[in-house]
Amino acid sequence: MLVGAGTAGAGAGFLVKESSKNRPEQYIPYVATPEDYTPGIATWYKTVCQQCAAGCGIEVRVREGRAKKIEGNALHPVSQGRSCALGQSSLNVLYNPDRLRQPQQSRGERGSGVFQPIGWEQAYTTVSDRLASLRRAGKGDRVALLTGNVRGHLHELLETFMAGVGSSRYLQYDFLVPENLLAANQASYGRAELPYYDIGNADFVLSFGADYLSHWLSPVHYGLGYGKLRQGPGRERGLVVQVEPRMSLSGANADHWLPARPGSEGLVALAIAGRLGAPGASAYSVERAAAASGLDAAKIEDLAQHFAEAKKPLALIGGAALAAENGMANAAAVNLLNSAGGGAVTSNPDPAFGASAAKHIAGYPGLRKLVDEMNAGQVDALIIADTNPLHSTPESLGLREAIARVPFVAAISPFIDDTSAMADVILAPHSFLESWSDDTPQPGVGIASASIAQPVVAPVHDTRDFGDIVIEIGRRLGRDVATQLPWENTLEFLQARWRELYGPRSAELGSMEFGKFWNNVLQAGVWAENRKGPALPAVSRVIDPGEPAAAGDGFYFHPYVSLAMADGRGANLPWQQELPDPLTGMVYNSWVELNPATAKELGVEDGDVVTVSAAGGSLEAPVVVYPAVRPDVVAMPMGQGHRTFGRYASGRGANPLSIVDETVDRDSGALAWGSTTVSVAKTGRRVKLIRQSGTPRDLGRSILGPYGEGGKPAPHGDDEHHG
Amino acid sequence: MADIVEKWKKLREPGYFGKFDYHWGMVIDLDRCSGCEACVVACQAENNLPIVGEKRFAQNREIKWLRIERYWEGEYPDAKVTFLPMLCQQCDQAPCETACPVFATYHNQDGLNTQVYNRCIGTRTCAVYCPYEVRYFNWFTYQWDEPLEQQLNPDVSVREKGVMEKCTFCIQRIRDAKDQAKDRGDRVRDGEVTPACVQACPTEAMVFGDFNDPDSAVSRAAEDERHYRVMEKLNTQPSIVYLTRVEHHD
Repeated sequence: MLVGAGTAGAGAGFLVKESSKNRPEQYIPYVATPEDYTPGIATWYKTVCQQCAAGCGIEVRVREGRAKKIEGNALHPVSQGRSCALGQSSLNVLYNPDRLRQPQQSRGERGSGVFQPIGWEQAYTTVSDRLASLRRAGKGDRVALLTGNVRGHLHELLETFMAGVGSSRYLQYDFLVPENLLAANQASYGRAELPYYDIGNADFVLSFGADYLSHWLSPVHYGLGYGKLRQGPGRERGLVVQVEPRMSLSGANADHWLPARPGSEGLVALAIAGRLGAPGASAYSVERAAAASGLDAAKIEDLAQHFAEAKKPLALIGGAALAAENGMANAAAVNLLNSAGGGAVTSNPDPAFGASAAKHIAGYPGLRKLVDEMNAGQVDALIIADTNPLHSTPESLGLREAIARVPFVAAISPFIDDTSAMADVILAPHSFLESWSDDTPQPGVGIASASIAQPVVAPVHDTRDFGDIVIEIGRRLGRDVATQLPWENTLEFLQARWRELYGPRSAELGSMEFGKFWNNVLQAGVWAENRKGPALPAVSRVIDPGEPAAAGDGFYFHPYVSLAMADGRGANLPWQQELPDPLTGMVYNSWVELNPATAKELGVEDGDVVTVSAAGGSLEAPVVVYPAVRPDVVAMPMGQGHRTFGRYASGRGANPLSIVDETVDRDSGALAWGSTTVSVAKTGRRVKLIRQSGTPRDLGRSILGPYGEGGKPAPHGDDEHHG
Repeated sequence: MADIVEKWKKLREPGYFGKFDYHWGMVIDLDRCSGCEACVVACQAENNLPIVGEKRFAQNREIKWLRIERYWEGEYPDAKVTFLPMLCQQCDQAPCETACPVFATYHNQDGLNTQVYNRCIGTRTCAVYCPYEVRYFNWFTYQWDEPLEQQLNPDVSVREKGVMEKCTFCIQRIRDAKDQAKDRGDRVRDGEVTPACVQACPTEAMVFGDFNDPDSAVSRAAEDERHYRVMEKLNTQPSIVYLTRVEHHD
């Protein structure tokens, strides 16, 4: 009796506790509502996704002044109404609990990650006083600006700003920018640009490690192309072959996956190009490619035949194939193959603006030079904006130590991440969903298009527009700089630039005034004009890829860009942390993939923690036995292992890029992060893998079709027609 | 009570939805699906799915109305994998519906298998009966770290501890389209409703619409010779038709 009553009492108390847990919410954030807003009715704003460099047009559903959902912009040529997982998760950037709510000043030792909030006036004064005094002392060139992949007119604003400071050290570094592909395209086509890879119209795609369905260049657009290639109406189903040591998402979708030895991709491409009669490729035999890659010679002959017979064949290269020591040579070989096979590769027209951003892509050589300069005491002030190179470069580069030597470091960063944690002061910018900017997609999609990115919601915190921050600091540097930056804010600056764009075209736009033109571009989310790029020249340049390096007693280390986290930029987004990896089901952690035979040899199973050691360092991660990786390869996803990156990412998992050798491409100088050899040792510890999993095989259950596993009729299969 | 049972029995006649306005259904082409998981996040964003956290995920408490399943065949170097987006199949003969002691899950007039959160008492029987394992139970009342809650979709209830939940085919979007059609004095036209997963899908692998309309995109897509339904021998009569992945043999 007493027990019963007690239980009832506990139950009631428990219910009260549960229901009072919910915080009170303000349902309608406005007292006097703006005119474009009705409670209960959604408003849609078009803008540009800035989670990666693809430049997808998106539209954001806004209710009661809050962003609720992101969709692709159906009018935009890149996304065509579609979106990807990382793009969807932009809302986790906007409303991230760890986003900086105001500027921060470092407390204690540099890099400790301990900051205290300060006001904007103090933050602006701290940065501008420092830069102004360097400028007055004629040391403007001792100021360096390191940004991510900033494009469009904002990039021109940064150019103007740096000219005002009096410095030529304006560098861009973004891990996902395909340095080697750009370098190879410069060698092959005479233009360091990305052409249009028209997957949707190809009938045979041969991809050397390019994971175009995950994060390679423009995944949403290539996804559209892939769907069309497979089952587009009124066409024959296209064929896809993937050559790579570890099956990526694109490899999983290919008809045939060929596990070639890392670094042998160029030789395979050249052998096929040789069969097609490409100039300079005749010296590269199928036999040599077979010996180097470990693939059957007959298989390579077969690929050559497919390539020759296809109407629109297409070869792609990316991932570790582009980041071996011969990555640039491999890419040049693929360019030659595309040229010889009449591939589905076309040029892009020049972007309407912002083309000069490309020359600021410092890449790894530029970053290395900056490290040397910082170590030599030639840099007195460093401004880091929108990039996190400390997470995407090996420890052995010594970037952390170099930054620590710079007397003054400022960051413009919405988060305290691995790199901005090194700053003395952090200026907190808006998220891209609260800011103004514009963009021309890179790679383009064969036509000249541009978009304006507009704020979709009022700022959530006391942050400032990125462009406004640059203008404000610039104006405080001196009257002469202020005259170079005459705009009140980013919006005014962008309108001034778009007015220049509008000017020469006003005749063809008829009676449309600039204001109308601007609003139309905002409403459509895109502006395009019918311009074609110059035809791509025939490729004759061959760069000898040489033989692939041997792994000796060790394993080839194969880091790969993770679907959820990309290079690590998505790690602080809870939706992405909780997004199961499509090939392993893993969430929240790092893991190391081993071939079943290798795992058996090492005596490890799923969940056994191993130490992966390279010359430059070692890391620990649990094993996931993976059926589609070469026995001599150890694969590992990038993205985790952040020192500092908010509550969802800090101290979670391990970062494969931190231990790769500081080896560079022998032709381009780019970081050859796919060329490290490692050893693997059992630690004896085990962890429970956190993964979404079930029975990994169909086992005749008619899940994949009425015919069950392997195309054989299921024991009890029935093919009932839909009524 | 007797009334409810009678009414329910009437609704349980297979194919009853043909007598009503709509039969919402989906076609998923496995030859297009790339397993990129755009749909998974789109669903999470649209339907206020909780972030359960690492600890709860490790206890298999995750809530994903839509997941990408993968099925391996063969061994290295001939290993192959096929992805299959798995979500509530909105079965006409839904095993979950016969199981619920309080009628929290029932079939509505649009052919949807619907979950009434306020009725659910959390016996979890439906999840046991579901052969597709697409029902998810709220073992906890999940919280959103401030200000993540500002993203929550006001058209979808946030569920609390003790209730079962699952894919609704984005019923809030269906309701909205039906409301607008009603104001026009018309039916919902083909293409006016798109669930979040279908809208996001970069490869256009998913088609959604009304199977009662023989000319709808979804009806036409289901006529493809590759059509099948997952585990059809169980006679659950799913509203989702899959198209098999095409195998290429040299």
